[in-house]
Amino acid sequence: MTTVDRVQAPSPTSPFDAWRTRDIVVAAVIGVVFGVVFFAWNQLYAGLDAVTKPFSDVIYGMWLVPAILAPLVIRKPGAALFAEMAGAGVSALLGSQWGPDTLLSGFVQGAAAELVFAFVGYRRWSFPVVAVAAIASALAAWAHDWVLYYADVSLGLQLLRLSFMALSAVVIAGLGSLALERSLRRTGVLDRFGAARGSTG
Amino acid sequence: MTAATILAPEIGPAQRESVLGRTNPLVKLGIALVWLVGLGLTLDVRPPLILALIALVAAMELGSIHPDTLARRLAPLALAAILIALTNLLFSTHNPDPAATEVLRIGPLRITQEALEAAAGLGARVVSIVSVGAVFALTTDATYLVDSLVQLGHVSPRFAYGLLAAYQAVPRLADDLTTLRGARRLRGLREWDPRLLIGLLVRAIRHADQLSIAMDARGFGAGPRTSYRLVSWMRLDASVGGAALVILIVTLLVSR
Repeated sequence: MTTVDRVQAPSPTSPFDAWRTRDIVVAAVIGVVFGVVFFAWNQLYAGLDAVTKPFSDVIYGMWLVPAILAPLVIRKPGAALFAEMAGAGVSALLGSQWGPDTLLSGFVQGAAAELVFAFVGYRRWSFPVVAVAAIASALAAWAHDWVLYYADVSLGLQLLRLSFMALSAVVIAGLGSLALERSLRRTGVLDRFGAARGSTG
Repeated sequence: MTAATILAPEIGPAQRESVLGRTNPLVKLGIALVWLVGLGLTLDVRPPLILALIALVAAMELGSIHPDTLARRLAPLALAAILIALTNLLFSTHNPDPAATEVLRIGPLRITQEALEAAAGLGARVVSIVSVGAVFALTTDATYLVDSLVQLGHVSPRFAYGLLAAYQAVPRLADDLTTLRGARRLRGLREWDPRLLIGLLVRAIRHADQLSIAMDARGFGAGPRTSYRLVSWMRLDASVGGAALVILIVTLLVSR
């Protein structure tokens, strides 16, 4: 199957070309895999929260991975929002402590990252761009959490949370997604995707 | 319970045929989100508790959800509510405020009446969000949801069904995970390792790739589409949606 497809290699595409079925299903699958990871992460976070609040937010970045990884792989407008919401939807269906709000969180986290990728025209995928997108996503998540869950918490703790979340976003969502993309590319599964076109940087 | 049964919550025929099961998923989703916004408007402890109670009674009475199922689903999530309340209690903006009424002092830690009230309100908010989420998830069939999104919500069918196809692969993920862990065990490696995620993603992407080829081969997304399962708005949708809206408004008014 792979050989046949390599013969009919796609012509160089612009990021704004319509999504192929393959792009849609792969972005969705990335979202779904992380939706399952989120489900496990929810339990881990609750456990950590119980003993180490606010340090538990150093693991927050995991919830932002699809918003970074899917655009890195697909390199098309909308990938961050679509994959993040897919992940949020799956974790909500599996049973998240944030119920329907999981979708709202997914929306703001995905949209914030999306904006950053849109700002560079979906053409630059260097570490700084990815890091800024991850931080934007964390910032959106932080503002959302403040209003909905930590409405009475002091500014000092809010800022402490923000710094942990931003750090976590850069390390887990940013560096983690770049490392995952590199590993995936090496295995050859991304041969026919945006990520294989070598436009990093 | 195997990983596959946890990861692929199937709703049974009883839930599917119940009043809430027949209610359009978009209506339920709308209710969940509107209630969420409504809950965001108040720090009072009563409205979220009333809404949670109504949601849970509706789940059992109108959703045919067995109380045990509901309890199993909610028990692990209760911890989140306690933790949110505790964080707001300990780190409240009211605690350092000299004008606030002190109820407790342990060394440098001062707990005020105002902080207690806000913490209770926010903890109750989580209880309520979790309950509404459980009712939605336990009465909603994923296919019905996606059909409605496409036919009534006018979401792009390619994205909606692409996502549904990916979601159907969730039980496969559980199998893949078992295989990958088995392979690691055989090689004398730790069974749980972050690198499992790479293997899982490789298999998932490869599967998605084959799936998309199969979908394209069957003309997916090419030309106008017809629907096999027709979804339309029903009177039930208006009744459930209207009732939920009235409940929210009355609850918010009562608490003032």
